[in-house]
Amino acid sequence: MKKIYKILIANRGEIAIRIMRTCREMNIRSVAVFSDADRTSMHVRYADEAYYIGPSPSKESYLNAGKIIEVALRSKADAIHPGYGFLSENAGFARLCQENNLIFIGPSPDVIDRMGDKIEARKAMIAAGIPVVPGTTEAITSEEAALGTILQIGLPVMIKASAGGGGKGMRLVLEDTEILASLRAARSEAMAAFGDDAVYIEKYVSSPHHIEFQVLGDQHGNVIHLFERECSIQRRHQKMVEETPSPLLTPELREQMGNHAVKAAKAVQYFGAGTIEFLVDNQQNYYFLEMNTRLQVEHPITERVTGVDLVKQQILIAEGEELTMKQNDLSQLGHAIECRVNAEDPDNNFSPNPGRIHSITEPLGLGVRTDGYVYEGYEIPIYYDSMISKLIVWAQNREEAIQRMRRALYEYKITGIKTSLKFLERIMDSADFQEGKYDTSFIEKNKAFLFQEKECDNETEDMVILAIYIDYLNRLNKIIPSKQLNPAENRWKKYTYQKNFDRL
Amino acid sequence: MPIEIKLNDRIAQVKILNQNENLLEVMIDDKVYHVDLMHNDEGSFSVLVNNHSHNMTLVPSSKPKQYTAYTLYNTYEPEVIDAASRYIRNRGNGSIAQATNRITAPMPGKIVKVLVGAGQKVEKGQTAVIMSAMKMESEYKAASDGIVKSVNVEAGNTVEANQILIEFE
Repeated sequence: MKKIYKILIANRGEIAIRIMRTCREMNIRSVAVFSDADRTSMHVRYADEAYYIGPSPSKESYLNAGKIIEVALRSKADAIHPGYGFLSENAGFARLCQENNLIFIGPSPDVIDRMGDKIEARKAMIAAGIPVVPGTTEAITSEEAALGTILQIGLPVMIKASAGGGGKGMRLVLEDTEILASLRAARSEAMAAFGDDAVYIEKYVSSPHHIEFQVLGDQHGNVIHLFERECSIQRRHQKMVEETPSPLLTPELREQMGNHAVKAAKAVQYFGAGTIEFLVDNQQNYYFLEMNTRLQVEHPITERVTGVDLVKQQILIAEGEELTMKQNDLSQLGHAIECRVNAEDPDNNFSPNPGRIHSITEPLGLGVRTDGYVYEGYEIPIYYDSMISKLIVWAQNREEAIQRMRRALYEYKITGIKTSLKFLERIMDSADFQEGKYDTSFIEKNKAFLFQEKECDNETEDMVILAIYIDYLNRLNKIIPSKQLNPAENRWKKYTYQKNFDRL
Repeated sequence: MPIEIKLNDRIAQVKILNQNENLLEVMIDDKVYHVDLMHNDEGSFSVLVNNHSHNMTLVPSSKPKQYTAYTLYNTYEPEVIDAASRYIRNRGNGSIAQATNRITAPMPGKIVKVLVGAGQKVEKGQTAVIMSAMKMESEYKAASDGIVKSVNVEAGNTVEANQILIEFE
């Protein structure tokens, strides 16, 4: 048992701030790290201490394990929290922490290795009696071998980066003609994102539900689950909206899947916070998809319905504490929904839309939480993820939660960049979502409704024209102040110039 | 000096008929409005028309006289046409580029790979350059058959939005 007094957060953006918030509540000092592009990022401003770790590309900063360890030792941190992405599922990094006497807030390196290698994970799950999707049991490192396997399994198939996650290095192949291009793209993306182009291939279960279970395990062998998250609203295999409880699950199925999730975690002596992802088809058959050995992006909806601070639990588990909650103490109160707000243009194939935040107004009021990191004047860098914020609402039931989310999306105003906000509002307005009848084909199926051009009435258009006119006249003779953070200017050259005025 | 505002395909004329501080009587094309308009120096506008509330924010673009306007559901890229821009426009130097003879970056990002060289023959739909932004890779293709005139970037370059990457003859 070792008490933690100071944590280095080896991450950036909203998740770094999310973790620091809990640190602050627990009276633990927080250490931020930042790249060239992130000097002005909010996580640097929120932390107690901040250290520069290298150039903007992730490979040279947030993925530079040696540098991060060096900073952790220099700042005398007791522990490192990796967040999600970057080094969070890197067993080598977890080992490096151990060797340097730093606590890695997450599972043991061996478990990360085992579950992070999707083929090993499949084997472990088959051994534990958990159902899995048909597919390869070995990593495929050559193009020829991959082609052979695809032909053998038969289309449709999913190509996934062996070391992957978050939809990177992942391609769905439906037609013969796409095989080669998809395979190359998946391998190239996998190489760029994870430094490893090994892929594995599995049969594609068409229009499945993507439902995951949150688990918590301590270092004394206790494992509990904190129920499910329904994550079927996805585009390009990246989640956009998550909710809990899932409208699909019956209490019986929930209990059965929950038990399987606990069993899966116990099978690998898991400790820390983790997520067991399942694919569920319309006949309510479910298959183990993968285990994420880290905190998930969508963890706040679980926190909201169970009342448990997952980051706090991670820290307590890392200190060696025993879980104080028992499975029977836990229940889901009400309903929670999360929407991911991305800097992207939904009308232009969701292309990334980095840029400077001109103004931002975050929603408030009963049952609303935002986990974000951008502020007015902040320039979103091109090097990292396009997610700028998560909007989480809670209400007593699903219907009220949808109404509240619509209200919160209306209040959320971000200008200067294009965001997914209006697209999210259309998801909330769609009949399929409101009835809770949707699977991973939702966006494809509801295309006509989601991408319709909203006719703008003439009055609004005229008011825009008027505003432009007034603003143009106003700007003719004015300097408009900027909210962007700039470095302190070097004033040496101006010194004598200034002195001359002082004498007058 | 008449000032016009260009919004999508529409070019509108604006005239202020009467103004008493925030209460304005304006004519936009041939329609007269009585509006209550409040705004700040950062481009936030609150406009009441027949007690109907409109909120919008104007963000000036890096080019003079161009804006991005954010309303509740839409974004526009309006442009102010004053005497100076009318002069340039009339000389036939409009800013509308011929999209087929070049590939421009639609957003800031990083070049992953350039697949063509100057002088090379390309077919319509052939991938010419691969760019990544925010960890997503996308391919940009030739819009028609032709010959590459110049390649202005190489792998590893960071590019700005609207920067010309490849030109065709």
